[in-house]
Amino acid sequence: MSLLAFDHVDACYGAARILNDVSFNVDAGERVAVLGRNGVGKTTVVNTLCGGTTIRAGEVRINDRGHTDLPHYLAARSGIATVLQGRGILPNLTIEENLLLGASVGRKGPWSLEAVYGLFPILRERSTNMGLGLSGGQQQMLAIGRALMANPDLLVLDEPSEGLAPVIVDELAELFNRLGRDGTAIMLIEQNVGLIQRVAERYYVLSKGQVIESGSLEGMSTEQLQRHIAI
Amino acid sequence: MLIQVLNGVVYGGLLYLLAVGLVLIFGLREIVNFAHGALFMLGSYIGFSIAAIFDFWLGLAGAIVAMTLVGLCLDAGVLRPLRKHDHMVTVLVTFGILLVLETFATAVWGKAFRSMQPPELLSGTVELFGEPFPVYRLFVIAVSLCVAGGLTVWLRHSRIGLYVRASSVDPTTTGILGVDTDRLSLLVVGLGTGLAGMSGVIAAPLMALSPTMGNFILIESFIVVVVGGLGSFSGAFIAALLIGQIHNMGAVYLPWASTLLPFLLMVCVLIWRPTGIAGGKG
Repeated sequence: MSLLAFDHVDACYGAARILNDVSFNVDAGERVAVLGRNGVGKTTVVNTLCGGTTIRAGEVRINDRGHTDLPHYLAARSGIATVLQGRGILPNLTIEENLLLGASVGRKGPWSLEAVYGLFPILRERSTNMGLGLSGGQQQMLAIGRALMANPDLLVLDEPSEGLAPVIVDELAELFNRLGRDGTAIMLIEQNVGLIQRVAERYYVLSKGQVIESGSLEGMSTEQLQRHIAI
Repeated sequence: MLIQVLNGVVYGGLLYLLAVGLVLIFGLREIVNFAHGALFMLGSYIGFSIAAIFDFWLGLAGAIVAMTLVGLCLDAGVLRPLRKHDHMVTVLVTFGILLVLETFATAVWGKAFRSMQPPELLSGTVELFGEPFPVYRLFVIAVSLCVAGGLTVWLRHSRIGLYVRASSVDPTTTGILGVDTDRLSLLVVGLGTGLAGMSGVIAAPLMALSPTMGNFILIESFIVVVVGGLGSFSGAFIAALLIGQIHNMGAVYLPWASTLLPFLLMVCVLIWRPTGIAGGKG
């Protein structure tokens, strides 16, 4: 079953069209990467999913139901949790409150406050601290933990490696693979070749707001992948 | 002197009741609601009219219910449809609503000043620090403290309160996490407007009713919101008490400068902390 599909989507900010006839899909349990340089429209894909753009043509299909006007909350309530670029930590809430906010959709599943604290013990130690008092890597843990609290079928990650040390990126890769093995689909929007190679099975390349290539990552060399990102 | 401090707390309490509604609405809809003072005025007149037929308490309850309904209509009919427009458009629309409501009040109740008596239960004075002090003013302090305490408990310890606090800083991210911020906004604008109506009725026995009665207190409420920190509930409480004192002490000891002092405080606080006492949105 397709959890998320963009079907010939044109998406705009005001009068400016950013996505042009974009189509892709992510099925249950898949790990898919969306690649591309800065400014090609990768984050606009996430913003469109989260209702931040106007869809002028095509539709976004969530669990095989088509939508052209998405309220912000629709994806989360349909089992698609998003980790935003910049992490979106609420600075006036404690770490625990940030996590509890992730559970607002009320979906049942394996992830609870205890399970997230088990995955990221540092968050339990600092549960009463404010969210922005954490390091970059810890903030990313908080953002991922908060997304998991929604017990999603699909986890959308927008540039999760941005600003993180390589050792932390390695830990993230292990975590995403573990989540994938447990059945959570992953959509990774990234430029970090190492992370893409370790996590994703399929890829789409975005350029100037259009999908220009797609395929399997199996057997693809680092150089080939870098060439795709540099397009 | 101590009596003047208490009078300052009374005025600060009224400012808080009005300003907290502004804070709630600013947080969810990210707009400065210029109609808030007119909603305060309308609540006052509705309470006045009901109290003239029945009694003060029914007037208070009726105004809260009526103004909450007005708030629900305001959010569903005006603020929600305009949420994707430039914020300046919404601000101008709220200014238009202010003018409409003032004209409406003039047409219904006239331009002449009207007065409302406190309920019999709260009339009279008690002796405090060796001087008589009106019981009604103590009631105003008690209501303000109860509202502040109730809102604090609701915001800190309830699920909806958590969503409101999150939305007050970042409604988009809160929505992306699955919270229906439109329904939340309906609740919050209804609550904020109901509080404006309540503060209008509670203020009525302390001030003359007129169609423009909300304008001055609205300006001081804006100062409370800015000094407290945009979107900050605790900041609004501290700032309201502070400005209540400055307003009152200024009127007694520096009457020539009393209207200027709250503005001076705002300038000083903004130089010291541009985001206000308790931070919030920059």
